[in-house]
Amino acid sequence: MAGSGSAHLRPPGQAVLRAEDLVVEFPADRGRSVHAVSGVSFDLLPGETLGIVGESGCGKSTTARALMQLPPPLSGSVRLDGVELTRLKGEALRRTRRRLQMIFQDPISSLNPRRRVRDIVAEGPRVWGVGGDRVDEILEAVGLDPATAATRRPHEFSGGQCQRISIARALVLEPEVVICDEPVSALDVSVQAQILGLLEDLKERYRLTLVFIAHDLAVVKNVSDRILVMYLGKTCELAPGSELVERPAHPYTRALLASIPRSGLGLPPADQLISGEPPSPVTPPSGCRFRTRCPKAAPRCAQEEPEMRSLGGDRWVACHYPETETETETGTAPA
Amino acid sequence: MRRRLGKGFWIASGWIGLVLAAAVLADLLPLPGYDETLVGPPQAGPSLAHPFGTDSLGRDVFSRVVYGARVSLGVGIGAVLLGLLIGAPLGLLAGYRGKATDAVIMAVNDIALAFPALVFALAVVAFAGANLRNVLIVLGVLGVPAWTRLVRGTTMAFAGREFVLAARALGVRDRRILWREIVPNVSVPAASYAFLGMAVVIVAEGSLAFLGLSVQAPTPTWGGLINEGRTIMENAPHLVLAPSLVMFLTVLSFNVVGDRLRALTDVRQSGLEHVRRAAAQPLPTAPHTAGGQLLQVADLRTHFVTARGVVKAVDGVSFSLERGRTLAVVGESGSGKSMLIRSILDLLPGSGVVRGGKVYLDGDDLTVFSPQEMRQVLGTRLAAVFQDPMTALNPVRTIGTQVAEPLRVHLGLSRKRALAHAAVLLASVGIPEPGRVLRRYPHQLSGGMRQRVTIAMALSCGPDVLFADEPTTALDVTVQDQVLRLIHRQRQERNMATVLVSHDLAVVAEWADEVIVMYAGKVVERGPAADLFERTRMPYTEALLQSVPRLTDPAHHRLRVITGRPPDLAALPSGCAFHPRCPYARERCVTEAPPLFQETREHLYACWYPRGTEAALADPVPVDPVPAALGDPGPAGRDRNGSEPGGPGHNGAGRTGPDLKRTELAGPEGADNRGR
Amino acid sequence: MILHRLVRLLVVLLVVTFLSFALLSLLPGDPTTQILGVSATEEARAQLRQELGLDDPLFVRYAAWLGALVTGDLGTSYITSVPVTEALVERLPVTIELLIAAEIVAIGLAVPIGVAAARRAGGTADQALTALCFALLSTPVFVLGVLLILIFAVNWQVLPATGWTPISLDLGWNLTSVLLPAVTLGCGQLAVYARLLRADMIATLQEDYITLARARGLSPRRILWRHALRPSAISLITAIGLNLGALIGGTVIIETLFGLPGVGRLIVDSIFSRDYLTVQGGVVLISVGYVLVNFAVDLVYAAVDPRIRYA
Repeated sequence: MAGSGSAHLRPPGQAVLRAEDLVVEFPADRGRSVHAVSGVSFDLLPGETLGIVGESGCGKSTTARALMQLPPPLSGSVRLDGVELTRLKGEALRRTRRRLQMIFQDPISSLNPRRRVRDIVAEGPRVWGVGGDRVDEILEAVGLDPATAATRRPHEFSGGQCQRISIARALVLEPEVVICDEPVSALDVSVQAQILGLLEDLKERYRLTLVFIAHDLAVVKNVSDRILVMYLGKTCELAPGSELVERPAHPYTRALLASIPRSGLGLPPADQLISGEPPSPVTPPSGCRFRTRCPKAAPRCAQEEPEMRSLGGDRWVACHYPETETETETGTAPA
Repeated sequence: MRRRLGKGFWIASGWIGLVLAAAVLADLLPLPGYDETLVGPPQAGPSLAHPFGTDSLGRDVFSRVVYGARVSLGVGIGAVLLGLLIGAPLGLLAGYRGKATDAVIMAVNDIALAFPALVFALAVVAFAGANLRNVLIVLGVLGVPAWTRLVRGTTMAFAGREFVLAARALGVRDRRILWREIVPNVSVPAASYAFLGMAVVIVAEGSLAFLGLSVQAPTPTWGGLINEGRTIMENAPHLVLAPSLVMFLTVLSFNVVGDRLRALTDVRQSGLEHVRRAAAQPLPTAPHTAGGQLLQVADLRTHFVTARGVVKAVDGVSFSLERGRTLAVVGESGSGKSMLIRSILDLLPGSGVVRGGKVYLDGDDLTVFSPQEMRQVLGTRLAAVFQDPMTALNPVRTIGTQVAEPLRVHLGLSRKRALAHAAVLLASVGIPEPGRVLRRYPHQLSGGMRQRVTIAMALSCGPDVLFADEPTTALDVTVQDQVLRLIHRQRQERNMATVLVSHDLAVVAEWADEVIVMYAGKVVERGPAADLFERTRMPYTEALLQSVPRLTDPAHHRLRVITGRPPDLAALPSGCAFHPRCPYARERCVTEAPPLFQETREHLYACWYPRGTEAALADPVPVDPVPAALGDPGPAGRDRNGSEPGGPGHNGAGRTGPDLKRTELAGPEGADNRGR
Repeated sequence: MILHRLVRLLVVLLVVTFLSFALLSLLPGDPTTQILGVSATEEARAQLRQELGLDDPLFVRYAAWLGALVTGDLGTSYITSVPVTEALVERLPVTIELLIAAEIVAIGLAVPIGVAAARRAGGTADQALTALCFALLSTPVFVLGVLLILIFAVNWQVLPATGWTPISLDLGWNLTSVLLPAVTLGCGQLAVYARLLRADMIATLQEDYITLARARGLSPRRILWRHALRPSAISLITAIGLNLGALIGGTVIIETLFGLPGVGRLIVDSIFSRDYLTVQGGVVLISVGYVLVNFAVDLVYAAVDPRIRYA
């Protein structure tokens, strides 16, 4: 990890959303900066769900906001249907907003407590002058009663229902791509399943392309076609969900999987695969950013940053010593 | 809204309205002119004709006070509006735009705040001319920095919220975001501050008038009246007291209204200890036998009396625990699992708590302990670790002081020895360089390290039972594993018992020996971990297990969905609390709460139609005439607690009353299960 | 960090002195009239204006004034012919003693009141203390002063209504003469402080680390004073700094009401005698003092809250 590179991107024409070499930094004290996202690339085909997984501070939410241009990344490119968003300003950028929407983590904080629920959902159509007739349809589609929504304010709804309102607000404008930033992590497990099911239903019904961000690998795997693992602002591994779980190539992916209790994957105990806690993104390690916690770290890892490279099929890893090359018994031949 | 504002708000509003009306309508009221002399005898006390008496020129004081209200309220309202008109837009701009705009506005603002307002007002009014307009402008402008600061702070708090981000993502223009999303949220604190500000301005105007630097004679002002009366207050105290009282009541009313409005946005109201009320009658405890277990909880109940009704946060929970075992308490938010821990440790927040049930530690009933006796037990024999390591440590005390404190308080160690011992403790929980960490403050440590410190503190006096309330929920998954391992290792090394509260079934399955599943304050299933997960009986437990995504499931696998949401604890459904969400619910579930039935001696569940049994498949059965005790929640559980020790290894010890058990389980469902 | 703050302090001081200077210079009222009287000729006025440098641009006059200020020269009053600095220095000890005594009254009572109220928030003691604070907060300082005089000086005659004995003359009499003014001035602040501390204490007492301290079997007294007070004191310290402005404003009233020979009284007297150099000097002295005290308060934070120290 700790990797960058964009070898894993597919030809530009195919992708509906393409992020290349995203860099986001925030000012920190003493004139230093937080290297929140450092050279992250990925793309999505129409109708695809890309899961992004990583621990807190890995830059996954910052990546989501960089895609939305809220705020725009420091450098790098975000193309939506071939249109470069990072170069757009003001009104031109605002005009692209309809096509790219976002669902947030905190269902309470993401709804204005002083507005009625129906007004919250109808805000987008009101601003754009389109789709006003879809408000009730979409409210019903997410399982809310339009009559109730017309009179109530968010605090009268539960967390799960608030997340449904958020989803309705995002979908009413018929966006092409929806970015879901930890949409279920604030919810109870029983409600989480409802929301995950709802997202799958709506994805089919409205032919959505999703970026699904979460810290819970099992949740991400449940909804995603491909999964991107991030660590400390870098990409580690990209693979279809089942392959990532069954044959993790990056040491960090393996550690992540092994840390999940009762994963049923037969991995060694997590404390043999990872130690310590993530270093500060203000002073990230040189070379591979994971090397300080990696049991396999070698001198090369400190000097040379690994780039994303193919492991065959649709598996990509940014590691000098990925697991597959030694574990031949697991199957796939190295690329 | 009406009720939340309280009676005081309405009385105060009434007084303000009265004074305001009097000031506006002064000319129409049947009053003598404020400068009309000798309408009565000079310096006469209050009488029917002159309710506030007369001054040394024989002028009617009541009339003068009424006309004085014109100046006070006029300046108060005018200056606040002026401050608002200038300050609020600046604050909105600074708070919403941030960055350079904010830096410039706030730098100017800070400098403006550096002027001592009253002294400055004095000087300016004195030289510019003491009249209504100047006083109003000066006091208004002097209020601008405070307005800017308030509005900017509130705006910032809301501008950072995700709904504003969502509006921007929708393509809403900045101006509309300000008006639609931010201004409505800023308006309540601003309204509150407007009233508090009016109180301040009325006092400031009064001060100027008192010094003779407000509106000039003959126009009366409250401050001026008090100043005039001061010189002869030995002879005619009413000249001072009457305007003072009116001024006090008016300022008080503005303060009350402002304060109540502010309270709308702020709900915290509880202290360190319970408010002493007429002691609530403890809830009755079902009969049970105190056994010889390390920890025994019998029929524990914690109810909160709230405006919405009685919230049954914990409702009849029983279990017991032996050394060297880990009991997990699982449930969703609101299931009462954290409240159960706090009830056991006597750490309940707030007021209006009604408690019931017993907690035994090695046979001693903790619920009859005095607070002093309880403090001897807490920290030494019972210890706790909470969810969020960021808030679990005091931010202004060093790690060393905090870890050493229980050692000094409970074990009476000297400071030096306590610190030395603290270093050993930190090393034992895997903290590198403990000597250095002792001198650090919490914010200098990572989340995982902080949680290790809180664990070290909990372990410092060698507790018998460690309560860990979601100890890893706030931590990353890789760190979570480390911390759970640490707790497990410490449990084994110290031969403690552990109570692990978690919403994460995978964590529970990995680390617990026994499991309690809670729903709506009640135990709905309980048993050895392996047994409970493999032979799940209660539909809620089953649904919980099936609704969690698993790594081994294929992508886009549809999870089991539990419809509806966790119940409102103040208005629980009838019968089995889970029945509205239960796909297998039948009529009996609606009318009658199931007791805890026994699957095996250790495995209990509260369901009329348990999964994986014939009862679940059977046709609805008419309710059997059951022993009276069965209508009560959890008689079988009580029986178990009362008559049998918890973990294996104590099988049979102290066992009594098998006959009773048989009677209670005599229903068809019980019989079915017993046959297994 | 410290350097950054010092630079900032210097800038604030420059702006504050400039504004004090400029505002009072630009106000209507011709100092030549005050010196020469209304009947003076235009020529005489013009000549005096030139001598005093009143025709120079504002910045030039400010620079000259600031230069003199640095050497401690605030000019000589046209009215009393006493150097302004001398007049202020003579009065300053009275005001400072009054301020310190008032803060002692305010903080000394506010901390126990705030802690006691927060301990059982919503309880009887809390409601009584909160109501008391509310009443004090709503009583203008001159109203309270007049009432206290009425009770203690006029009715009971146990304390002097007016007058001042310097500390150098007699400590006992000095304390007697400062008692009523300090209590009057301190009571308004007391209410502000106690309410702030109570609110912050209540917030702190909700924190996990307090619940955990209870779970460690520590006594309520220890938790309140050792664990909760310090993290709750941040707003209180800010308020003490910021409210100094209100307190200084209060000294003007108190000194007038109780006849104390302090800076506030001097300013009021000078206003009425239109002695604008003395007023200017007084305003500058108070503003600069206020800025400096708030600078000191900023430094005190760091001692109270390590998060700020290392930020």
